[in-house]
Amino acid sequence: MDITVIALALILFLVVFAIIQYNKLIRLNIQVDEGFSQIEVQLKRRADLIPNLVETVKGYATQEREVFERVVQARAASTSASTLPAVAAADGALTNALRGLLAVAEAYPDLKSSTNFLQLQEELATTENKVSFARQFYNDTVRSLNTAVKTIPSSLFVGLAKVGEREFYEVDDASVRNAPNVKF
Amino acid sequence: MADFRALESVNKRKTFYLLFFMAVLVWSISYLAITYFGGTGAGVIPLAVLITLISVWGSYFASDKLVLKMTRAKVIRYEDNPNLFNVVNEVVIASGLPMPKVAIVNDPAPNAFATGRNPENALIAFTTGLLESMDRDELQGVTAHEMAHVANRDTLVSAIAATTAGIIALISDILMRVLWFGGARNRSHQNQMPIFLAIIPLILAPIAATLLRSAISRRRESLADATAVSFTRNPAGLRSALEVLARDNTVVEARSSAVAHFYIESPLDASTASKLFATHPPIQERIETLRKLEANPLS
Repeated sequence: MDITVIALALILFLVVFAIIQYNKLIRLNIQVDEGFSQIEVQLKRRADLIPNLVETVKGYATQEREVFERVVQARAASTSASTLPAVAAADGALTNALRGLLAVAEAYPDLKSSTNFLQLQEELATTENKVSFARQFYNDTVRSLNTAVKTIPSSLFVGLAKVGEREFYEVDDASVRNAPNVKF
Repeated sequence: MADFRALESVNKRKTFYLLFFMAVLVWSISYLAITYFGGTGAGVIPLAVLITLISVWGSYFASDKLVLKMTRAKVIRYEDNPNLFNVVNEVVIASGLPMPKVAIVNDPAPNAFATGRNPENALIAFTTGLLESMDRDELQGVTAHEMAHVANRDTLVSAIAATTAGIIALISDILMRVLWFGGARNRSHQNQMPIFLAIIPLILAPIAATLLRSAISRRRESLADATAVSFTRNPAGLRSALEVLARDNTVVEARSSAVAHFYIESPLDASTASKLFATHPPIQERIETLRKLEANPLS
């Protein structure tokens, strides 16, 4: 076989290989972006539920001002947060505040049996699960990306793809991390 | 030791081995057909392949519609059952898959299944009995198991297994008839091997293929359990759902071995099929595996 044919085949192989590695990095990076926007979508949904929930609980439990204020403040903080660590911190604070609100609701039998509250509770339970699954999915995509960025051969193409390691979405509250399935 | 990622890779590897054995079996039976039956054998192979491909892959492409008909499942919308849709939506987010169609089978026996040729055409169905007997976490576990079948493309895997098993069965069947009607004897061929040496593999090959197909199905069930845990990170939900299924002894009405492999729990009586031919691993074994995952803080 001619030497130029071998050289050409080798070059072709290297080009195809580079394209595959480059595309892999870009694809993983896009997945991380999608994962993060999914978290934001779910956090927004939860924030939208809160005014309604607070109003419903207020109707029965008038004297629990402190709890309501904590929830409203945490909600305001979470809607204004934009960077990943800020979003994660506000998310954790709001999760805790909501848990406090639902604990308060436990003490009011009339409230607990109202259909409006039961419906809100299911909505909140599912949204809470969606938030935690969105976090988990995001962290899985970050893990895949970071592994690809650090391991050979894909790591050789990091400069070319302009892709780097990304941050994990970490919630401060240990109970949030350990219990992705919220039961109310 | 036992974490869901390790379990997933073990089950994937074993599926690969089993499919490899099936390919070897197809190759051996084809080899046998050609050496013993010469021209007849060579003609039988493409015929068997063609017939099986048409029948299996036709049903593979229409799997969502066909299974709906066979099980009399009805596709529902969000308004029909918001709670169920919420649970499915949660698992969809956890898995990163597109939203499947959701259907309900009017049947008191608790069970569920997934089908569809790819994640974009997926359908998951629950019996009314299942919806009544399970709490939120258990329902989430079952949904995750079904979405795991979708993620692992088990309709495709079982179609491949059915195709190879079908090809083996058809080749053996046709050649047995050829032998029976003396077609082989009239031919002038060189081999002096006694005829029973051809008959034995012709009888055994289809049985072996069925066994391999069941083994593949069992592997995919174990894999779906592990993948389900990777979605929910809550082995307790699925474990307790399986315990509900194990306690229950009503049997799915529209049962048929044709759709048995779709269900989360085998819809057929345990007594009708021996363990080797079972499409699902024993439910106690699955519960035990999930318990080990629960004990592991990693998952």
